[in-house]
Amino acid sequence: MSEVKFLTHEVGSLAKPPWLVKTSAGKPLDESDIEHARSWGEKVGVGGYEKLVESLQQDERDPEEIARWASRYCVRLQESAGVDVIWDGEQQRSEMYAWAIAHSNGFEPRGTVRSFDNKYYSKSAATGPVSLAEPYHNEEFSFLKSVAEHDLKIPITGAYTLAVWSYDEHHLPKEGRLGGGLSRKDEVEARRELTLDIARNLIRPNLEALIDLGATWIQIDEPGASTEEDELDVFVESFNVSVEGLDCMFSTHLCFSDYDLFFPAIEGMSGCRQYCVGFANYDTRELGTGGAERPGYEVISKWRDLPYDPILGLGVLDIHTDFIEPPELVRDRILYAAEVFGDPARIQVCPDCGLRTRSWEVAYEKLRNMVEGTRLAEEALNRVHAGARRN
Amino acid sequence: MQAFAPGIYPRSEELVQATRDLDRGRTTPEAVDEQTERDLAQLVSAQADAGFDLLADGMLRWQDIFRPLVEGSEGLETGALTRFLDTNSFYRAPSATTAEPTLRAPLDERYIAQLPGPRLVTLPSPFALSHGTDVTPKAMAEGVLKPQLEAIDAELVVLEEPYLAREESPDLGAVEEALQVLAGGPKLALWLTFGDAQRLLEQGLADLPVHAIGIDFYATHLTDIPQDFDKLLLAGVLDARSSVLEEPREIAAFVETLRRRGVEEIALVPNGDLQYVSEQVAREKLGRLGKAKTAAVKAAA
Repeated sequence: MSEVKFLTHEVGSLAKPPWLVKTSAGKPLDESDIEHARSWGEKVGVGGYEKLVESLQQDERDPEEIARWASRYCVRLQESAGVDVIWDGEQQRSEMYAWAIAHSNGFEPRGTVRSFDNKYYSKSAATGPVSLAEPYHNEEFSFLKSVAEHDLKIPITGAYTLAVWSYDEHHLPKEGRLGGGLSRKDEVEARRELTLDIARNLIRPNLEALIDLGATWIQIDEPGASTEEDELDVFVESFNVSVEGLDCMFSTHLCFSDYDLFFPAIEGMSGCRQYCVGFANYDTRELGTGGAERPGYEVISKWRDLPYDPILGLGVLDIHTDFIEPPELVRDRILYAAEVFGDPARIQVCPDCGLRTRSWEVAYEKLRNMVEGTRLAEEALNRVHAGARRN
Repeated sequence: MQAFAPGIYPRSEELVQATRDLDRGRTTPEAVDEQTERDLAQLVSAQADAGFDLLADGMLRWQDIFRPLVEGSEGLETGALTRFLDTNSFYRAPSATTAEPTLRAPLDERYIAQLPGPRLVTLPSPFALSHGTDVTPKAMAEGVLKPQLEAIDAELVVLEEPYLAREESPDLGAVEEALQVLAGGPKLALWLTFGDAQRLLEQGLADLPVHAIGIDFYATHLTDIPQDFDKLLLAGVLDARSSVLEEPREIAAFVETLRRRGVEEIALVPNGDLQYVSEQVAREKLGRLGKAKTAAVKAAA
């Protein structure tokens, strides 16, 4: 058996630095913001960060240029943490949903809605046929290609999530629903129409534009995929419609769901070569590679048994807590998964989801430990294999 | 005919920003409190303008429908972040470390605000609070909800119940047992949110020992209401998950059909927490609910 090596990769968003947030909001900076730029530039080795510090000190702030600096910082933050495949933490996007909607036709804003606790998102309504106003990831991809040393994976919000996170004022009737006037079947059909409209006329043209620019791995984020249990076929159909016939590695990201719900629906999603899934949120913090210590990962055998043998991006960092997973805990989560899969080549390692709700300090330590834990898992497996060869 | 709005009301854009800033260390808890009080004042004003019969505080400090009670109880803990039904909102699922959790002290005015008029208070139903834990609804009622109810002076306590209608095999007996524990204090309503109540109604939902039953009429067919329904019906006629603004005349016409079916006491309410739309949309919906009530009263006159 060849040496075991697990690929590590990011999932999506990172927090925006205070100097970007305040610049975007037109607010003045204070000394702590400038110190943030200085200390992180030095800590993770951002080339030429002194120029940013100087422009912040002189209050010469072009929001777009500041956002590009934030991209450079996040690229270096992940590279210096040792993550193999990265993105920029979506620094140049407003947010995964709002960014896509802002570059689309056929939606109107309807205000801010709570996601959980003090976290919120902007929510829009579909009000007409959907179309692409302009490809909305090209500029950031071109820029990141020019500054990243590690390989890139482009996260793009998927059609079903955009649909289910939107109100639908276009396909659903405005009246006649009260008292059971609209059946669930009618509601699902309305969602299907909206989702496929988005897949064909928004997602697919975006994917084509990125592939033309040289994209090799695109992650279609679908955190909303399991929102409606009886619409999983719509999610699967929209993924297939989005990617069919396109020449690129496509993966998807799922999180914070009852994952059992996805089966058997995703048996039909053979265009998806990797599933990046959050599990740590449901797991214990105990060390150990047995099922008792790893309840959060019990469900992974279902991915193992999919007929088209996808890779599993194993979420090993709980992104909802400041708890820094020790490398040994990351190691044990990977070893458990490798044992269940029986083929380490089908396991890659990532956080549960984007780390944007954590500070850079916490995110950095978590990512460093993720990488270190991955190395520990590789060493453990390679020792076993070396022992087996000797015997 | 009444109208009111139980449940969690959305935060204003200003309060959204204040709480975001608090999380990022850019403002103080005092500043968030001040904005919360401004939100509360605006909500009370909106309800008064709409002609609501009972005022609600919108539960503006509640991070989810369980959190303050879970955090305030011995033997309960906040668990994994969990998707709330089929929405894009999440909550910390309660988990139990004992079979008999107990509330340390009733929630104070930060969580159940005093209001300038007759009020309602919303709490999770005992079944909802026990959902996903190994605690029985009766034990939740005895140890957590009963002490809270005893500290509440309100015209109506609405027990929010999002899960029961979605149960494969709902155990109404366990619900009844828990509700009996809570009887004897303020009037109680069991508010079934975001779900089709047909099966429950067939199994005797309307006979539970509460003053009022709440039904989501975007999921439940009108004809599923029993002909002999003799409680106050909280008719969920605002769709709290849709940005579409309801037409008061359509609601008034629906009320008329309810009356023709023999339902005598009706309160118009949303079909769940309004926090699933933005505050701007929710405020407009409140206004329309008030207009619907006026139209329904006129139609009946």
